[in-house]
Amino acid sequence: MIKKNNSFLLKILLSSIVRRRSRLMVALVGIAIGATVLLGMVTLCYDIPRQMSREFRSYGANMILVAAGRESLMMRADIENAAALLPPEKVLGLTPYRYETVRSNMLPYTAVGVDFAQVRKTSPYWHVTGQWPERDGEILIGADVAEFTRLVPGRGLTLEGRNKEQARYEKDVTVTGLLKTGGVEDGFIFMSLESMEEMTGEPGFVDVAEISVMASGRELRDLAEAVRSGQSRVEARLVKRVTQSEETVLGKLKTLVYLVTVIVLVLTMICVATTMMTVVMERRREIGLKKAIGAENRSIAREFLAEGLILGLLGGLLGSACGLLFAQVISANVFNRSVTVEFYLIPATVLVSALVTIIACLIPVRRAVDVEPALVLRGE
Amino acid sequence: MFWKMLNGALVRRKGKLVMIAFAVGLGVSLATAMLNVMFDVGDKVNQELKTYGANLTVVPRGASLMDELYSLEGDSAEPPRAEKYIAEADLHKIKMIFWAYNIVDFAPYLETAVKGGGQEISLVGTWFNKHLELPTGDEVDAGMNGLKTWWDIRGQGGDDADETGVLVGEALALRLGLGPGDSFPIESLDGQVGATVKIRGVFHSGGVEDEQIFAPLKLSQDLSGRPGLVQKVEVSALTTPENDLARRAAQDPGSLSRMEWDTWYCTAYISSIAYQIEEIIPGTRVKPVLQVAESEGAILEKTQLLMLLLTVLAMACSALAISNLVTANVMERSAEIGLLKALGATNSAISILMLTEILITAFIGGALGYFAGLGFAQLIGHGVFDSAVEVKGLVIPLTVVLVFLVTALGSLPAVRMLLRLRPTEVLHGR
Amino acid sequence: MNILELRGISKIYGQLSALSEIDLDVAQGEWLAIMGPSGSGKTTVMNIIGCLDKPSCGSVVLDGQELSALSADELTAIRRDKIGLIFQQFHLISYLTALENVMVAQYYHSLVDEKEALAALDRVGLADRAKHLPRQLSGGEQQRVCIARALINYPSIILADEPTGNLDEANERVVMDILHQLHREGSTIVVVTHAPEVAAHAERTVVLEYGKIARIVLGGDPSKAPEVGEACGAGA
Repeated sequence: MIKKNNSFLLKILLSSIVRRRSRLMVALVGIAIGATVLLGMVTLCYDIPRQMSREFRSYGANMILVAAGRESLMMRADIENAAALLPPEKVLGLTPYRYETVRSNMLPYTAVGVDFAQVRKTSPYWHVTGQWPERDGEILIGADVAEFTRLVPGRGLTLEGRNKEQARYEKDVTVTGLLKTGGVEDGFIFMSLESMEEMTGEPGFVDVAEISVMASGRELRDLAEAVRSGQSRVEARLVKRVTQSEETVLGKLKTLVYLVTVIVLVLTMICVATTMMTVVMERRREIGLKKAIGAENRSIAREFLAEGLILGLLGGLLGSACGLLFAQVISANVFNRSVTVEFYLIPATVLVSALVTIIACLIPVRRAVDVEPALVLRGE
Repeated sequence: MFWKMLNGALVRRKGKLVMIAFAVGLGVSLATAMLNVMFDVGDKVNQELKTYGANLTVVPRGASLMDELYSLEGDSAEPPRAEKYIAEADLHKIKMIFWAYNIVDFAPYLETAVKGGGQEISLVGTWFNKHLELPTGDEVDAGMNGLKTWWDIRGQGGDDADETGVLVGEALALRLGLGPGDSFPIESLDGQVGATVKIRGVFHSGGVEDEQIFAPLKLSQDLSGRPGLVQKVEVSALTTPENDLARRAAQDPGSLSRMEWDTWYCTAYISSIAYQIEEIIPGTRVKPVLQVAESEGAILEKTQLLMLLLTVLAMACSALAISNLVTANVMERSAEIGLLKALGATNSAISILMLTEILITAFIGGALGYFAGLGFAQLIGHGVFDSAVEVKGLVIPLTVVLVFLVTALGSLPAVRMLLRLRPTEVLHGR
Repeated sequence: MNILELRGISKIYGQLSALSEIDLDVAQGEWLAIMGPSGSGKTTVMNIIGCLDKPSCGSVVLDGQELSALSADELTAIRRDKIGLIFQQFHLISYLTALENVMVAQYYHSLVDEKEALAALDRVGLADRAKHLPRQLSGGEQQRVCIARALINYPSIILADEPTGNLDEANERVVMDILHQLHREGSTIVVVTHAPEVAAHAERTVVLEYGKIARIVLGGDPSKAPEVGEACGAGA
């Protein structure tokens, strides 16, 4: 028999929902908006620091590898071993650098061997006029070198020098592009590591390697420590100028997003609650009647609770879908990347929506229940 | 009668209308806060990005290449070239360009090799916190302390007042076995000039500076025999992200039309600031440090776009929420509408009555919400950037339009629904 | 035997005294009408009898139980078990069918029983309208649903507030016929009304004026009223 009563309660609830469609639509839309903002903002809140961290990599490498101890050069294999200690998905780029003093027309220049494919990732701010070198014997020259020597892309020159064994070498190279960074690079000549090895006849040496790691703060320090403790030939150092500043600015941005999220959430939740209160206030008369025919406060509250729960769950689900879309739209437009969704946030959103709805329902219901039924029935 | 009914509704239905006013107030405060923060976030983040240090370097024209080459290899056998310098006396002019207020800080550098502790050391003369009095009557402080914020300094920071007080790089200090408070003698390479310097602090920079000594500019000028000269100046300026115009101008300012040129010159692009410094200190070349300048642009743009989208979406949501509430509120009054219709009110009369009522309520709520929103904006400003968010007057008309559109559009569906009501149904059916 | 005894009932709203020192007995199976002009205290008496309100002083004994000491929750329980309410405005729940509106009363009382609810609707002649929503029913039909709802839990007293106030003559007749039938079956009925023709159906009429019992009339027509007190305790 109790079962029969429960199924009747369910029937009342369903009737209330189905037959009061338009009013409940209003409530549902309200809750869905709340849930949309909730899930959207919280997802972004999780994701933005990560995405921003990626943007900050445009400042270039935040970790460098140098030879440990008294050595001044590393072997390329050492660098690969060291880099293998970093999680591959965190490494945006790794560029080995080899510096060599060369002469051309009796004037000294610093030639730098790099991996051009990687340098574009670790130093995205490099501004090249002309072509990036692709073949052996092609070079980039810094803007200051270009101004001084009057060299332009397409012109050739001969580089000469001595390697570590004091053996002379010579190489004809062609300028393919001018490099401008505003930094020391403007005074250097760049060629591929392979070209440089071929020129000097010394394989595999590297002075320094720059790594752009998708991490900041403590995580980055831990990664550097992991490289240091994982092997002994290469030492990892953080580029303080980049890491320190990134920590500061990213910290501010995070706080900004958190604060905005909190304020938006509080305001939206209040708005949802207000809407629910309006919708429920309408039913004061119904509550009065139910009390008059003998309903206890508890059972009236229970009905509204159940209704709020159903509405909250439905609205929460609907809002979750919209919220993901919301986060996706922002992420796609701002960062050109799809957002990373923390899936446990979805049930959390649905739960919070239901909770807010129930609380918002119970406030006016409590007030209506406190009113003497006689007053409600006589009125209007 | 219209006004009497309106007045009656506004005064006697206080409870219900307070809800609308409250919701509109919330929406407006959200919009006000977000818009104010959005308009100001660029400046604020720009200011924060200054921690990345200088975004412009000023070098003497034609001489920029050589010293950097030598300093890397230290090839002293090479015959010295004719070197060029900038006069220290010209530096204050940097604060007198068109975009003077965008110059956050600047510091000159003069590097020279000295002997100390039995080895050759690179000593860099600079301003730490130089107080300048400009011909314009303004007074400014400029120097390295504001540019190298990422340095970790053990002991005291640099001070121009202390003529023999120096900062020593961590690696060098370790090699010399010295710490803060210690004094040691140095002399120029040719042994002509000598001085005893006192270590004010030991710093860690993570770069080549860790092998250098930073001293007041005067000291390095004396030691190198180049009085009143500096080699380069680093400038940190607040800039506007680059666009097409700025890129074209950076290539060749001559290629712009008169109007484009004016626009470019009067916008704080990094290229126009560089151009203006070159103008005011002849014989210099000003290079944007692309690592800083480009990244600043990218991050600023992203942040602004992010805030813009967040603002738009937050406002769309609050608009929906408000119109939803208005709908709920209007629906509640079906009985009253039915009665009015039974008494012979036309649809338009009812619509106007309801819209006026809601709009008046909304504007009262909106006015209160505006001030609450300013509060929220300052909360964000102080919480995040430790400075007040600038209040933009533009926000007021924007929110007024918003309130009007939202409440009017929000009540339309509800009003339409009510107009379809048949009076008999409302009065009897219930 | 009296099903209801009011002794020295007063009700004061702030400064205003709505009822003063009312004594009234209602016998088991009696049909009583309470009459009076607006503001005479009719509604207040009805609220007190219907356990919707408590008197400021005095005692109410319903079915042998003293009510004045009970809490609001306990009053709710009494109302549920002993009172059947019929309203001028019908007060049906708009989104529930006629049958469901009756079942709501069962639900709050104890257990729902669709057959019984349908039987109650049949009794007021609405078995074929059971699945209709209130807005699809005429005023008279709505009032009959309201009566069916009042009946469903076998109340000690059926309390009707202007049961025909919103109805036309034809529907009024139908509703009064139902009340007569209930009376014949032994229900105690209290009707609050300002209309003499409605009061005329009752066995005894109490006329209120200025919060006091002005006179009590045996039979329906108060206009032919003899004197106060003469009929006191009649029908006991």
